[in-house]
Order: sequence, then C-alpha cells, then structure tokens
Amino acid sequence: MIGLVSLIQPVAPLFVMTLATGSALAAIAMRRSFLITVLICLVGLIGALLALPWMAHSAAVAPMFADGALSVGFAGVILLTSILILVIAASYWRDATAEPREEYPLLLLVGTIGAVTVALGINFIPLFIGLETLTLAMIGMIAYPRWRPEALEAALKYLVLSGMSSALLLLGLGLVDLATGHLSLAAVQHASGTAMLLLPALGLIIVGAGFKLSVVPFHIWVPDVYAGAPAPSAAFLATIPKIAVIAVVARLLFADATIPPTLGLAMTIAGVASMLVGNLLALLQQNLKRILGYSSIAQLGYVLVALLAAGALGRSALLFFVAMYSVTVIGAFGVLSALSVAESDRDQDRVGDIRGLFWRHPLIAGILTLALLSLAGIPPALGFMAKMYVMAAGVHSHLRVLIATMVVSSVIGLFYYLRVIIAMTQAPDSADAHAEGRLSLPGNAAIGLIGAVILGFGIMPQPLLSLLKAVFHS
Amino acid sequence: MILVWIALIPIIGGIVVWPAGRLHPLAPRVISLAILFVDLLLTLKLIEAGGSGAWLASFYAPWVPSLGIGFRFNMDGLSWILVVLTQILGIIAVIVSWSDIKDRVGFYHANLLWSLAGSIGVFIALDLFLFFFFWELMLVPMVFVIAIWGNENRRRAAIKFFLFTQGSGLLMLVAILALVFLHQQQGGILTFNDAALLATQPTGPFGILAMLGFFLAFLVKLPAFPVHSWLPDTHTEAPTAGSVILASIMLKTAGYGLLRFAVPLFLDAAHHIAPLAMWLGVISIFYGAILAYGQADLKKLIAYSSISHMGFVLVGIYAFNAIAWQGVVILMVAHGVSTGALFIAVGAIQKRLHTRDLAQLGGVWTDLPRLSSFGTFFVLASMGLPGLGNFVGEFLILRGTYAVAPLVAVFASIGLIPAALYSLIAIQRAFHGEATVPRRVSDFGARDVSVMMALALGIIVIGVYPQPLLNIGAPALGNLVPAKQVSALPQKGRGG
Repeated sequence: MIGLVSLIQPVAPLFVMTLATGSALAAIAMRRSFLITVLICLVGLIGALLALPWMAHSAAVAPMFADGALSVGFAGVILLTSILILVIAASYWRDATAEPREEYPLLLLVGTIGAVTVALGINFIPLFIGLETLTLAMIGMIAYPRWRPEALEAALKYLVLSGMSSALLLLGLGLVDLATGHLSLAAVQHASGTAMLLLPALGLIIVGAGFKLSVVPFHIWVPDVYAGAPAPSAAFLATIPKIAVIAVVARLLFADATIPPTLGLAMTIAGVASMLVGNLLALLQQNLKRILGYSSIAQLGYVLVALLAAGALGRSALLFFVAMYSVTVIGAFGVLSALSVAESDRDQDRVGDIRGLFWRHPLIAGILTLALLSLAGIPPALGFMAKMYVMAAGVHSHLRVLIATMVVSSVIGLFYYLRVIIAMTQAPDSADAHAEGRLSLPGNAAIGLIGAVILGFGIMPQPLLSLLKAVFHS
Repeated sequence: MILVWIALIPIIGGIVVWPAGRLHPLAPRVISLAILFVDLLLTLKLIEAGGSGAWLASFYAPWVPSLGIGFRFNMDGLSWILVVLTQILGIIAVIVSWSDIKDRVGFYHANLLWSLAGSIGVFIALDLFLFFFFWELMLVPMVFVIAIWGNENRRRAAIKFFLFTQGSGLLMLVAILALVFLHQQQGGILTFNDAALLATQPTGPFGILAMLGFFLAFLVKLPAFPVHSWLPDTHTEAPTAGSVILASIMLKTAGYGLLRFAVPLFLDAAHHIAPLAMWLGVISIFYGAILAYGQADLKKLIAYSSISHMGFVLVGIYAFNAIAWQGVVILMVAHGVSTGALFIAVGAIQKRLHTRDLAQLGGVWTDLPRLSSFGTFFVLASMGLPGLGNFVGEFLILRGTYAVAPLVAVFASIGLIPAALYSLIAIQRAFHGEATVPRRVSDFGARDVSVMMALALGIIVIGVYPQPLLNIGAPALGNLVPAKQVSALPQKGRGG
C-alpha cells in the first residue's frame, strides 16, 4: 500500500485526471448526461489542483517529472485556466440538444492532462507525449461543432500544421538522442555547443515550440484556426498550450544564469516580429476571434521580453504576465461564448455583432471592455500592471530594441482594441441581427469572476504578486 | 486620508450615477452635482487647515511594496489651485450638460466623474507610478464621452485623441522606469517616490533621453507645436462639456506635469533643453494664433487659440524663475476659466443656430444679446485684455522670461498681436454685422447666465486681485525644485 502511494504521489495530478477521464468515459457509456460528464471533469480538474501541493511535498521523485516550484506553479495556472474554460464551455454547450455534446468536456480534460504533463516533464518523452495528447484533444475540440464548415476547416488546418511541427520536433529529439545519448532536458542543456548535431536539433525544437507558442514566423495558422474554432475551444487554444510550453522554456532559461547568445538573438527577433506583426495585422480585422488571435501573437512577443529579461525581476514579470494573459484571454473569449449559441452556424464574433452591447448587456460589455483594456495595458485593468512589470524587467536588463518595439507596437495595438470598445457603444446594425445567446448563471458567474479579478488585481496587484511568489518560490 | 477621499469620491460617484440613470434622467445630474460640491468643500477646507511647510496635506499607504510603489498623495498650493479648478469646472460641465445630453445620461455622468477623478489624481499623486496610473485613467472615460456623445466624426476624433496621448504616455512610462532603476543603481532603494527620485538628478545623455520621455508626453498633452494636431479635431467633435474638461482641465495636467516632474527631476537636462522648449513655445504662440485667424469654424478657432496660449505656458515654465512660474499658474487657471466659457458659448450658439461657421453667423448680437455679450467678454479675456485674468498670467510670464531670455520674451510679446487680430475678427464676424438669415431663437436662460456670470467674476477677480492666488501658489513653487540641486547647478544653458 505504501509502495502504491509513493508511486502515485509524484504524479498525483495526472493520476487524478486520468481517473476522472476513465470515469467520464464510463459514465457516457452508461448514460449520456451532459451535466454528469461536466461534473466528473470538474471534479477531476479540481482534484488535480488540490493534489498539486501534495505532489510538491512528495519524498519520492518520478523519473521523468519535475517537482520544482516553477513547474508546479505553472501546472496550477494550467489547471485553474482549464477549470474556468470548462465552466464557460458548459454554459456554451448547454442548449445543443440535437447533437451529443458529452465528449467536449472529456476532450478538454484530456487536453489538460497533456498540458500538465508538458509543464511537469523534464524528459523529452513525457514532453512529446504530453504535447501530442494536448494537440489531438484540441483538434477534437476545434471540430466539435461539425455543422460548421469553418470549424472543420480550422481543425484540418490545425491537424496538418501541428502534425508537421510535431514531426520536426520529433526529428529534433532524435538528433538530440543521437548527439548526446540522452533524452532529458538537463543533458541537452549541459551538452550545449559541444556536439555539431545539437544546433540543427535545437533549431528543430525551436520550430516545434514556436508553433505551439505561435510566435512569428510560426503564426500563420492562428487567425484562421481561432476564427473557425468555437469560442471555448479558441480560449483553450489561446491559453493552455502556450502556458505549457512557456513553463518548459522558463524552466530551461531560468535554470541557467545566462541565455546562449544564438538563442537570445533568435528569441529577440521572434519577439520583435511577433509584437509588430500581431498588432499590425489585427488592425484591419472585422472578426473578434481573429483580432484576439493576432493580439495573442503580440502578447506572446511581450512574454518573450519577460523571458529574455532574466533575473528575479524577469521571472516575476513573466509569472505575473502569464497569469494576466490567461485570465484576460479567457475573459474575452468567455464573453464571446456567453453571447453565442453552439447550435447556430457561427459565433457572435463579428465586430458588427457586438455593436450596442453596452446598452443591451452593460455588465457583459463592461467585462469585455476591461479584458480589452487589459490586453492593451491600460489602467485600471490588470494588464496595465503586467505590461508595466514586463517593461520594467526589460528596461532593467537593457533590452533596448525590444522595449522600443514594445512601445511602438502597443500604440498600434491601442487602435484596434479601442475600435472594438467604441463599437460596443454604437447603435446596433438592425440589418445584421443575429441570434444572441441567453446568458446562463454559471457562465455569467465565471465571466463576472474574471472581470472582478481583472479589475481587483489591476487596482490592488500586491495580493496576486504575493500569491505568485508563494506558489512559485516555495 | 482626506486626499484619498478627494480622488475617491468622484470614482464612487461614477459607479453610483451609472445605474441611477435608469431610475430617472435627473438623478445622475443631481447626484453628480452633489458629489462634486462635497468634493470641492473637502478641498476648500484644506487651505484653512494649513499643514506643515509647503504641504497642505499628505497621505501614504503601501500599494505594491515589492516594487516600491505606494499610494502617495500630497497636496501643496499648486495642486490645490488646480484641483479646485478641476472641481469648479467639473460642476460647470455638469450644469452645461443639463439640457445638452439627453440619452444615456447615467453612463455620461459616470464618465464625466471618472475623467475628473483621473485629473484630480494626477494633480495630487506624488508617486510616479500612481501619477502615471491616473494619467492613463483619465483618458478612457474622456474617449467614451467623445465617442458616444460627440458630433459626426466622433469615432475618428476619439481614436486620434487616444493614440496621441496614450502613445506619448508610454514613452513617459519607459522614462519613469529608467529613472527608477538608475536611482536603485545609485545605491538607493527601488522606489517610485517622487521625493526620493528628486535626488537622482541624472546627467549626460541618459538624463536628456529620460527627460525627453516626460517632455514629449507633456508636450503632446499641452499641446505644443509640432505635436498638437489631435487638439483641433478632438475639440470639433467633442460635446460641449467634453471640450470644457479637455481644454480647461486636461491641458493643465501637462503644464502641471512639466512643472512638477519634467523640470525638477531632470534639472540639468531641463536647462539644456530650455532654449529649445522656449522657442517651441514661441512657435506655438505664433502657429496657434495664425491658424486660429484662418479658421472658419468658431470652435476650431478657440482650439487653435488654446495652442497659442499654451505656448506662453511652455515659455514660462522653461524660464526657470519664480515670477514666470507664478504667471504660468495664473495663466493656466485663467485660460481654464476663459476657454471653458468660450466653449460653452460656442456650444450654445451651435445648439441654437445649428452652425459654428463664421460665414453663416454674424449679427448674432441682435438675436442673442446676452450670449453675445458674454462671448465677447471672454474673447477679450482670452486675448489678454488688462484687468482680466489672462493678462496677469501673460504679463508675469513675459516679465519673468525677459530677465533670462530677452529675445524669447520679445518674440512672445509680438505674438500678442496676431492674438488680438483673431480675437477681434472672431467677435466681429460672429456677433456683429447683419444676420444672413432671420433667426427666432431663445437667448441664454437664467441657468446659463449664472454659469457665465460666475466664470466672468472669476476672471475679473484674478485680473484685478491675483494676490491670494499668488500667495497660495508661492510656497509650492518655491518647493518644487530642492534648493540643494539648484545651487549645485552650473549657470548654463538658459534660454535665449
């Protein structure tokens, strides 16, 4: 019995979620009930979250998993994000009576298992398996409303491109194995620069990671896939895989005092390009999901600034920014899903659809405004503090080019965020009236909570800072 | 604690009046008025209470201790004058909107109060981060006011306003961060406290660059040539109360920011840039005046005249002496009052005659004698007629500038001639002459007359007896630049 516990404890969250997956499958097989499936998945996610501290205190260490504070903290952020998305997704799917929808929460749970595996893995095997689990679940989540051609198209696009990036990543891993004989991250880190094969290997791995992070130049798929995916899936897509990969990169970069110059240069170029391209291409979009997609590209550019600004300040800035990013993005997509109906042929995702939202649903519009202000980095939203933090880290580390780009691209970004906000105050187009969803209580509660978090921590950031510090430095 | 309430009351008020608009359209107006009166009374009491040294009141509480950011509110005479100006013009903005704004009354007043709260915060925050927080906070509500209740091209104007001011603000944020880290490197602690950062005094290229971050942000907001282009557009599209707040209050945050931060934090760099800044001021004086002369739109004319007046403010600030700085304070207050009144008059004309085009006006005096006489009075005030407030301000600025930079003072004085030209032309074309079409409209009612009367009284009092205002401002101005730093400064780089 003791042996079993010591076997489970180092991977407790994964174990809990796997158990929940099995239970959910069994429940679906016995009787299809959306509510029960959602509840099982919710219990699984919350259980995994509660199991995290237990895992962190484990005496035994699983061979391929980390139990450092950084990894555990990121796993916690992933789980919290997943819980919020699940609540929003449950309210999004609640009306779709004609089609089975029980598998959607199940896919979300499986995807989260993959993401947590990535965040915790210190060996390339769990990293790759986790990434693939995550990707396959996401393809299902994107294509779930199969009555929407755009969703199928988006899923296919994602399948092809992510398959390609996985293949390249796998090739990179193979080269690593060939060069070093090891598949653990630490081995690669300490072998860096010694073997000739490592450079192409590193390049291929960067391509794979870049695709998941969707930084420029690996961003082409983002707007199409985000626009085609149903809103909760887009929220998942924009947050979970990115946090997971950021967790791995952060662990690698923060372990060493210095970043290798070639990697630093590649990240700088990607950061500058992401900020500019993301914000510039968002300018002319009419679809909110596309705007959020481009915006997420730019936000990942800011993340790269924080990653490059090593040191204590960069570390805190990164954690704060990632927390802000996930909350804000879920808030924005959450509002879109609250307004949309899963059954209809498209979401309420055009700028025209939200015209006059301020007068129809003032609170919902207020929360979307807060989320957009947060992404733009304007007080009193949380994003202001986060962006200032990243800038502070960048200025502190003398990242002149990146900071200059950040200022310029932020100004460009203001334009499209403001355009959406102003559209919400305009009179609606009566010609293009489209079925708007009824708002549900749990969904509203989730969005309301997110709004309160964005505003509350935006005005009083210290509790969040202390919390992050406590979690990530314990 | 009272300072916190002064900033907080309008914010809470905004949260209250938004839903109140659903109950009755009158509710937000009455509540807003009450809130601003309470706020004004709280502020007025501070001057009686006195306080220690130059500070009338102060408050500190930690905000983000791990980054050295605090809720650091301090009020001296300079802040006090500008806060009172904000509250009084806020009250007037509410009254002006009484019959102007008919839809979404609750949300409108909420935005009005929030933007006022942001301005008040800017005037009393002495933590650089808190200052920046309020600096940004006042923008979004103003954008809403313009974008929802403005004229035809309101969306474009709102976005332009936002991009200009926000973009330049980001440069200031970078400069703030650079300054804070330099302070930390020099052996200090990580803090955004203005009083601590005053000791940093960066020099050399770093000082110039960091100072430019502040300078540009304030230059855009002031606005001065060549970064003024948002102002005419924004004023043309903004509703009357929006124009009043923008011209009378928000432009003053820039003058205040220069006086409080851009100059004292970077004395050396500020002295280096002084000639450039003063000549930019002179160019703005002429540029604003000449463009005002060419305008057919009365509201645009006033907007360009603001650029001209703010040129004097810029010249005065970089003259670096007590007399000029006194003049800057007086001119900011007087310009706030007179330009606010002029925007109200133009708004009233537009509402009654549905045009602001000087070619279609003319002969308004016959139909609207009360409106026209007040309009004329304030145009004369803004022109700098002796005996009225603006004259005192401009005179003191020129007097102070002449001592250090005679050439700048001479050119700035010549700038008064085009000012007289566009003012008189405006009076003549708008109010005098024959009406092109017969008009049947009502003149100013009791409410409008009392507002204008109050503003006119203010201008006359400042013009005839400015001493109380000078007395309140003097200790603050003496306190802006720590004496230690001034004496250490070599006598160089003065303007002219």
